[in-house]
Parts: sequence; structure tokens; C-alpha cells
Amino acid sequence: MATQQNCALPSGFQLDHYRVERQLSLGGFSIVYLAYDQDGTPVAIKEYLPNSLALRAEGEVTPHVTEAHQGAFRYGMKCFFEEGRALAKLVHPNVVRVLNFFRANGTVYMVMQFERGRTLHDYVQKNKGNVRERFIRGVFTRMLNGLREVHAHKLLHLDIKPSNIYLRADGTPVLLDFGAARQTLMSDTPILKPMYTPGFASPEQFTNRDALGPWSDIYSVGASMYACLAGSSPQRSDERLKHDTVVPATKAWYGQYSPHFLATIDWCLQLDPLKRPQSCFALQKVLAQRHREAPPQQKSWLEGLGTKLRTMIGRS
Amino acid sequence: MRFTIFQESRVGKRRTNQDRVAYSYTRDALLMLLADGMGGHLYGELAAQISVQFIAQSFQQEAKPKVTDPVLFLSRVLSNAHHAILDYAFDKHLSDIPRTTIVACLIQDGVAHWAHAGDSRLYLIRKGRLIAQTRDHSRVQLMLDQGLLDAESAAVHPGRNRIFSCLGGSHPPQIEFSRGTPLGNGDVIAMCSDGVWGPLDTNTLVKALSDGKVMESVPRIMNEAEELGGPQCDNMSLIAMTWHDDNPGDIPDTVSTRTMPFDAVTTQMEGFGRGKRDQEDLSEDEIERAIREINAAIHKFK
Repeated sequence: MATQQNCALPSGFQLDHYRVERQLSLGGFSIVYLAYDQDGTPVAIKEYLPNSLALRAEGEVTPHVTEAHQGAFRYGMKCFFEEGRALAKLVHPNVVRVLNFFRANGTVYMVMQFERGRTLHDYVQKNKGNVRERFIRGVFTRMLNGLREVHAHKLLHLDIKPSNIYLRADGTPVLLDFGAARQTLMSDTPILKPMYTPGFASPEQFTNRDALGPWSDIYSVGASMYACLAGSSPQRSDERLKHDTVVPATKAWYGQYSPHFLATIDWCLQLDPLKRPQSCFALQKVLAQRHREAPPQQKSWLEGLGTKLRTMIGRS
Repeated sequence: MRFTIFQESRVGKRRTNQDRVAYSYTRDALLMLLADGMGGHLYGELAAQISVQFIAQSFQQEAKPKVTDPVLFLSRVLSNAHHAILDYAFDKHLSDIPRTTIVACLIQDGVAHWAHAGDSRLYLIRKGRLIAQTRDHSRVQLMLDQGLLDAESAAVHPGRNRIFSCLGGSHPPQIEFSRGTPLGNGDVIAMCSDGVWGPLDTNTLVKALSDGKVMESVPRIMNEAEELGGPQCDNMSLIAMTWHDDNPGDIPDTVSTRTMPFDAVTTQMEGFGRGKRDQEDLSEDEIERAIREINAAIHKFK
């Protein structure tokens, strides 16, 4: 099926009692808008609009769903409800807050608190190669507080990645987008393929969905931390199973970050779920440990050469 | 009695799964069933469900812990299942009588008997070789037998799904019975619907099942059939059983009935509506209710 681009609702559109300001993001499953409620408070509204099933042409409001796709569209809606249900029960400073849920224009909408700031992804791109260890430890320790809450509600996030971690203006992280969490409850053959971002998904997400657990989210956390250093995600885990080309963090950034921190990342990125930290708490405990960062490189040139050589050998 | 058994049924790319599989065993007897409701007719799924349920029930009533005569038992229950479908259609004033293929296999005293109507198949594999196979009750098979068709053109023949014998429907079924076949250690009996044997050729199936590790091979075969079935993939069902000697050697995942009480029966059967894609179930009311629930949760935790 050719992927089609859905048109967003126009600016100024009155949606229930919210006024649409602009589109914030466009995904395969939904569109997110910035809107204002009656009191002028900004909110983020997520519109259920899977672009493989529903099409909204320019200037239209109600998306067109063909008869053949009606069933799948409704099924996807169920998934969207699962996300709503999951988030509605979660009240945590590090998890995005749902404010309202309503039906309009032949589809459904989820209203969430609007957070000012930027995604971790943007931050990493801007500060490429220069993201401090203390910063990463801080962000992820606090983000894991939110993830713990998610796990405590018997949910899995399953789509943790830097672009789903939002940094408020004060630097506190918020976990966004629980779109993938829905899959945990669906045992039937999903017609809408589970959605995840390849480089951040654990191997069991590709192959053995029965083996999913907190450790699967931990893998994604590890991949996200890795991406903070590398600027991009590690190799897809399903390809890693066949031919692993990921350079362990302990090798790739030797000397630039504390060995303890790099070893923690590698620990999360183990392909065997049992070899990873088994819970958020276990990982948090390690991340929260204060370790002095590696001193800036003041080694003799000979030592430096040795390191370089070692890295090169490690890579080849 | 000692065996390893695994069954699986998938909807494929169809809207409903009209296949039914079941097995049932007592201390001394094992019954395996597979029915493929006929899609071109109304309520194929009903016919399959009625047959499987009816036959399994009869087995549970009569196998204490063995049936008296396997052939008579099969003959009676299959023809009774046929009448059960007719009765159902009559009671409900159905405009067309539902139809289904059937293949049933009963094992007791180390001897297997099977019977079938239609084009669902049974294979008996011994030491990697195909020992016995049911012959489809289809026009294409007849033409093959008469040399009017070769295997290649049969595989693509437009009428290859047309069968002349089934349970239900307006004609009495022509049921074919096997001879009693003694089983040896490691023998594999596999039964499948045309959704499985259609896309895969017999050699592939036999090869895949030869090692007797049915727990692994069945899902693998199903995956393969589903892949080859492509966007039009039919319902697929496969039930496979490996027979073991009664020696106490420990083989993982086997069922040993030696410790079962005389009057106990274990049955594995999927209920109705299973495999049906439930995405269409979401009604207007349910949408409204879901939204109400979510909002209630939001306000409760605010």
C-alpha cells in the first residue's frame, strides 16, 4: 500500500472546545497538534489517524475510511484507547499527563499536557559528540522514575528513544508517546504492525514477543544512551543477532567517559534479555552512583597512540 | 500410551477461521480431529465446529478408556456428525446446509485408524518416509488417478478446491476408512487443511515433520505456508503427533497417559469465534464506553 500523507487540520480550527494552533508532529499512526483550550492554556492534542487506513484530503475535516479498512480502522482505535487507558492511570512528573479524551470528526482525540522544551533527540543533535556524562546520567535516572511507574502498572513502553524523551525547560525529562504500549494486551495477529523504531527496539520485539518484559524497555534505554554518545542509534537488534557490528561503548568512547558509565550502557545493550539489568531500579541504582568522569585527556602521546590503536583494532 | 502432540490453526488472510482442530485422549486412546468448513457455502465455520465438537463428545462418552471397535466408532460418529449438521440446519431454517471436510484419526492399542471426507489430509511418516496418505475426495484427484492431469497442472487447476464428499450438504458423505496401521516408535501422524498442503508440496511437509519434533516443526511449517500463501492465504490448520514407545526414557514435552485414571479425558479444542479477527467488534457503544472510562480514570487520578 502506498503511504499517503494526511492533511492536518488547519490553524484556527475549532476542535471540540479547543482551538488548533498548529501541527506539532506527524506520525504513521497519528497527528499531534498544539492547541489552546477555553482558558488559553496550551495543550497537545493527538489525533488518531493511521495513514494507511484513513485519508484526509486537503480542506476536508472527516477522514475518509474505505469500507475494506473500516475493521482495521476500528481495531486501531482500540489500540489508541489502550494508550489512553494506560496514560490516564499514570500520574507522574516524568510521564506525560492526559487531560481529556473525546470523539469528533469520525475519529478520536487525546488531549495531553503541553510541555515546553525540546526532545532529547534535538538536544543530542545540537550538541553532537559533546553530551556530558553527568547530563546523561541525570536525564536517564529521572526518566527511569517515570518508566518505573509505567512498569508498576504492568505496562511496557516499547518505544523508548531520544525523540520520545522530552526535556522541559528546567531539564527534567518527560516520557512521551505510549503508542506502542498498546501491543502488550493484543495477542491476536495485529493487522496494524507493531510500531517501533528499529534501532532502539530490543531483539525480542522483532522475534519473540512472548519474551517481552521490563528488560525490553531497558534495552531501548541503553540504545538511547548509546545514541546520546554516537549521535545515532546502534545497529538494529535483529541484524545484530545475525552479524553484530556494534562497537561496545567501552571501546568506542574509551577515555572520554567513565568506564563505569560505558560498561552500564553495554550492559543494557546485551542481546540476551537475561544479561541486561532486569528492572528500572537495578539500572537506576547503577546510574545514580557518583563516578568521577574520566579526566580530560592528558596522557602522553605514546599512551594516546596505544588507545587509538586499540580502538582501531577493536573496530576491525 | 506416550506421544508428543501439537496443533495450530491460523486465520491466514481470511476474515474468519473456518478450520477446527481438536484432540482428545484417555488413558488408552487418542483421537485427533480436523475439519475445514467450506467457505463457498454458508456457515462453513458452523459445520466444522459442530463436527469437531460432536465427535470429540462422542469419544469422551465412549472411550472408557477405549472404544469397543475403532472402525465402527469412526463410521458411526462421522455419519452422526453429518446428521447433526443437517439437524442444525433444519432447526435454524438455514437456506443452505453448512458443509465441512473432516479427517479423524483414532489410536488405541498402538494401532491407528483414520477416516476422512473431503480434501483435508492425513500423512503417516515413518523414518522420514511417507508411508500412507489420504486421497483427496476431489475431482482433481480423480483426474490425477485417471491420468488426465499431472501433478503440476493439478496444483493450479481452477477446480482444485471442488470436493465431492463432505459432512453436511445435500448428499450423504462418502467416508473413506483406512486399515488399522500399527505405529512404531518415532512415527509421525500429521493432519492438515488445504491451507497448509496447498502452498507446500508433500515432500517439503514430510521432510519438515520427519524429525518428530512437532512442537517446533508445526509452527515452522505454518509460517512457511502463511508466507507462501501470500495475500490470499487460506485458513491453515495442522495437527501433528509423534508416537513414542512406552519406555520410561525422558523425552521433553511428551504426554504419557500411564498415570491417568481410567475415566479421565483430556481435550484440546478451540471454541467458537477463535481466530476471528476481533477488530470489527468495536461497536459505537463500546467506543463511547471506552471514552467514558478513560475520562473517568483521568478525573479520578487528577
